[in-house]
Amino acid sequence: MKTIHLVIEDKPIIAPEGINIFQASLDNGIYIPGLCYHPKLSQFGGCRLCMVEVTERRTGHRFACAHPVSEGMIVKVNTPKVIRYRKSVMEYLLVHHELSCPICDKAGECSLQDITHELNQSPSRFKAVRMDYPMVRDNPVLELNRNRCILCGRCVSTCKEIEGIAAIDFQNRGIKTVIGTAFDRPLECSFCGGCVAVCPTGAWQDRTLGFKGRSWEFSKVPTICPYCSVGCTIILNTKMESVRRVTSDDYLGINEGNLCIKGRFGHEFIHSPERIKTPLIRKNGELYPTSWDEAIEYVAKRFQQIKNEHGGTAIGGIGSEKCTNEDNYLFQKFCRSVLGTDNIDNMANIKSPALNGLIYESVIHGMTSASLKEIEHANTLFFIGADMTEAHPVAGSMARKAIRLNNANLIIANVRGVQFNSIARNDIRLKYALGSQIILINALIKVIIDEKLVDLEKVETSTNNFDKLRSLIDKFDREEASKITGVTQDAIRNAALLLTKPGNCYIICGKDIEENPLAEDAIRALMNLCALLNPAYRGDAGSGKVSLFFSRSHNNSQGVNDVGVVPGFLPGYVNINDASNKEKIEKSWGVKFPDTILKKDAENVIDLALNSKLKALYIMGENLVVNYPNGKKIKEACKKIDFIVVQDTFLTETAQLADVVLPAATFAEKEGTFTNMGMTVQRINKAVKPVGDAKPDWQIICSLAQKMGHSCSYVSPKEILTEIETISPMYAGINYDRLKRKEFHWASSVSNKNKSTRYTFSMVKPRSSEIRKNKDFPFVLLTGASLNHQGTFSRHSKSLMSVAPECFVEINKKDAQVLQINNGDRVAIESDQNKLTLKAKVTSKLPERVVFVSEDYEWVPVNILRDRVHTSVKIYKETV
Amino acid sequence: MNDQSTKNETIDISKVEKILEDYKNTRGAVIPVLQKAQAAYGFLPEPVIDHIAQSLNMSADEIIGVATFYAQFHLKPRGHHIVKVCCGTACHVKNAKALSSKVREKLKINVNETTEDKLFTFEEVSCLGACGIAPVVMIDEEVHGEVSPDKLNDVLDNYKKSGV
Ligand code: SF4
Ligand code: SF4
Ligand code: SF4
Ligand code: FES
Ligand code: FES
Repeated sequence: MKTIHLVIEDKPIIAPEGINIFQASLDNGIYIPGLCYHPKLSQFGGCRLCMVEVTERRTGHRFACAHPVSEGMIVKVNTPKVIRYRKSVMEYLLVHHELSCPICDKAGECSLQDITHELNQSPSRFKAVRMDYPMVRDNPVLELNRNRCILCGRCVSTCKEIEGIAAIDFQNRGIKTVIGTAFDRPLECSFCGGCVAVCPTGAWQDRTLGFKGRSWEFSKVPTICPYCSVGCTIILNTKMESVRRVTSDDYLGINEGNLCIKGRFGHEFIHSPERIKTPLIRKNGELYPTSWDEAIEYVAKRFQQIKNEHGGTAIGGIGSEKCTNEDNYLFQKFCRSVLGTDNIDNMANIKSPALNGLIYESVIHGMTSASLKEIEHANTLFFIGADMTEAHPVAGSMARKAIRLNNANLIIANVRGVQFNSIARNDIRLKYALGSQIILINALIKVIIDEKLVDLEKVETSTNNFDKLRSLIDKFDREEASKITGVTQDAIRNAALLLTKPGNCYIICGKDIEENPLAEDAIRALMNLCALLNPAYRGDAGSGKVSLFFSRSHNNSQGVNDVGVVPGFLPGYVNINDASNKEKIEKSWGVKFPDTILKKDAENVIDLALNSKLKALYIMGENLVVNYPNGKKIKEACKKIDFIVVQDTFLTETAQLADVVLPAATFAEKEGTFTNMGMTVQRINKAVKPVGDAKPDWQIICSLAQKMGHSCSYVSPKEILTEIETISPMYAGINYDRLKRKEFHWASSVSNKNKSTRYTFSMVKPRSSEIRKNKDFPFVLLTGASLNHQGTFSRHSKSLMSVAPECFVEINKKDAQVLQINNGDRVAIESDQNKLTLKAKVTSKLPERVVFVSEDYEWVPVNILRDRVHTSVKIYKETV
Repeated sequence: MNDQSTKNETIDISKVEKILEDYKNTRGAVIPVLQKAQAAYGFLPEPVIDHIAQSLNMSADEIIGVATFYAQFHLKPRGHHIVKVCCGTACHVKNAKALSSKVREKLKINVNETTEDKLFTFEEVSCLGACGIAPVVMIDEEVHGEVSPDKLNDVLDNYKKSGV
């Protein structure tokens, strides 16, 4: 990139060519007042405040945000003339502004207020005409006071460019211009709150704050969002040991201050009255509050008893996709070294058992090497089976940034017509038939090979098995593939053409692929595709990158696996059956694993329970009863277990079955680290004291271990992370203190170490996953993520509940017509397992004979219907 | 904004569907589409806007942003005759206000409203470029100069008589 030398306020500056004076000043810590320019938005130039004196060939006045830097330029920000000008602009802006600072939640962090103050603004020469628009308060989380709006356009651009929604725009013109919706209809949007975050005045407000504190009273604690696997940095604003609101910071973490509704408004669960505040113990069939001492003593005694009588393997453990790496690490260490059981697992691994191994392989081959944030630099994006808008909203915003700034191409392959708003010039949607994902991926591979879209000779010499792949693919027919997938040959070809273009190609593999019974094959096919897309084989002589991302559900679904809450695998995906690894760990933990720990049944924890091989189950931060994919099975399994301990923040459906419930602290009340779906480890920070007697999970585990006679003397998660580092080579170089400033990306350190591994193509037979047809149950039930909810936490967040109080069953228009189902009708969904009644939402997004229910509304247990991934159901209108 | 709502009248969406066919996959089609839609419906009804939004893959909010920015677009039904009273400087000096009052009193409507029989819509505009004959009232394409309230009364009567 060409650089430019210039001088701003007597400071010599080197800036990249093409940026404007405003940005160059910001980057160098020089302040220019301005209300409309925002680094993450396209330039607007509406507030006219950023005038500076510029000397290029001649000296003149320019708007800093609209004028590019040039070689030798001299910029003065505070000449008397500029200041005079600035004051007069402010004078105009303030003619209409109500200056209601004393009752405005924005006061103290309001740019308009700050600039007014800074300019020592004198009373206006104009007679003030105050606007008198009514407050717009038509939704539970945002309000808009248009009398405070200065029409800077930031919210409009944010909504359009970052969220891709354009729910608001300038309406009318001249003096009547306001920000609003079409026909003043109530705001209907994703409620990301981006508008609140960028508004330089108090026009947009976060209603969850609602005067619960002035901005200067808050302590602001940066931490990581507890919901999805994107891992956005959020700022907890606290006062008197309570979280009053969440704000964002454009310069921290990976998300540029962008959040989704859950991250920004889903914080009320922290202080929900329904939190469990003391340990509970079951007596005569009921749960009663008890003391920590009694609870720990009782649990330790029972565990010991069961261990003595039936062996440690009679105790199972379920770790948490929501707890920290340190909590989970300690959990598996406790299970393995104190209880003596390897019968542990986590929901992510249960739902998608092949995934861990495949991800690790992909990392080793350098195919999963980019961090999530790099999506912003994509040239081509391929989302397959991933619903970005619902499941990873802020990663979607990163993708939109790539589309806006790099003209990135977009390919979305999904069974459903998932929504993803973009302005991509090349935007290909491949709506493939349910179950045909492997055929689709192979068809892409076939086009690439047939048409030599990459340098096949190079592929041949630098990989293994390419000839085999070739002969396999040769037998595969494009027309046939098009027929099976329902995607036209043209569309498949165009997608292949885009994928092979030079530059960064980022592929996101979604839950639909990962949780499918053919997950392993489909992911191997995707890895084959990635291997072909290696930049070394695509035009342009190797610039660019290809990277495969794997969707994860929760904030730490990746981490719980990384730190070894996986049967058979110690932290860092080290196989427990490998003697040298085992020894190393035994030495470091100062224990000797009993031989029984290695005698592995092929069954997972729940199957063991069903077969009456488990006497006790220790569950940390997981609502198993609702989240286990087969609702009937999990309930039966729980019935067969004598002793269940649940450690959680709320009395979930699972906790209600427990013999002992241990109250855990939420993310806001503890320290530790989370690992996002891009393998980036980020630190969370304690913002408030745990409510009641709740304790961080790692502390609870420590007390149990101590009670059972083991030393467990960690004083903080820092020590635990240090231990993780020494045990698992994957984490070499991670450092708890450094994490405060910079996140750690384990995938790049692992793939760097394995640079020279040669890829071997897998032979993946192009086949469809079987969808059992059933006359009595003619529909297939699909489940997936939801933007507004995710499990226990969102369920206890008042604002999220009022935005999305209802879980719908989505049904195709045509099917709805035949069944005479209208939007909002109560509809029964029945499988051979059970029945559920929900309101209908008629949509054109779904293929026929498929219904969709989100699995993230925790109070709607979709799993009671399911006995496999594609459960057959029937649906009919419920008659009252 | 939709006080003179058109909700109870059925809007024939097929007209705008036809218009949109010509603009499939064209960027920057909003203004020509809105112009044609307005020509077809006389104004831009809410369902038509929603339909345009959907087809052009934009939000209705964005489209209304455009539609309310340009004076040429109307979101309410308009009358058969558009009465424009000039309120430019010259006409203002020549007491254009009295003319506006006259219209209000005679047609029983305020600025930017339409009479119940849909015969007249009343608008106030800035300089019509005929200051020499101020005050000026323009009805449809016809310019009436040096109008007095009485004269305006007669002119409006004439339009009323001839009806649509
Ligand atoms: S909350 Fe987000 S989607 Fe809604 S109006 Fe604001 S920026 Fe747009
Ligand atoms: S509401 Fe705020 S962000 Fe939006 S235009 Fe007004 S002042 Fe700017
Ligand atoms: S839920 Fe995911 S996308 Fe939303 S703010 Fe949290 S981490 Fe970001
Ligand atoms: S910041 Fe430059 S015009 Fe607003
Ligand atoms: S002011 Fe009325 S015509 Fe010019």
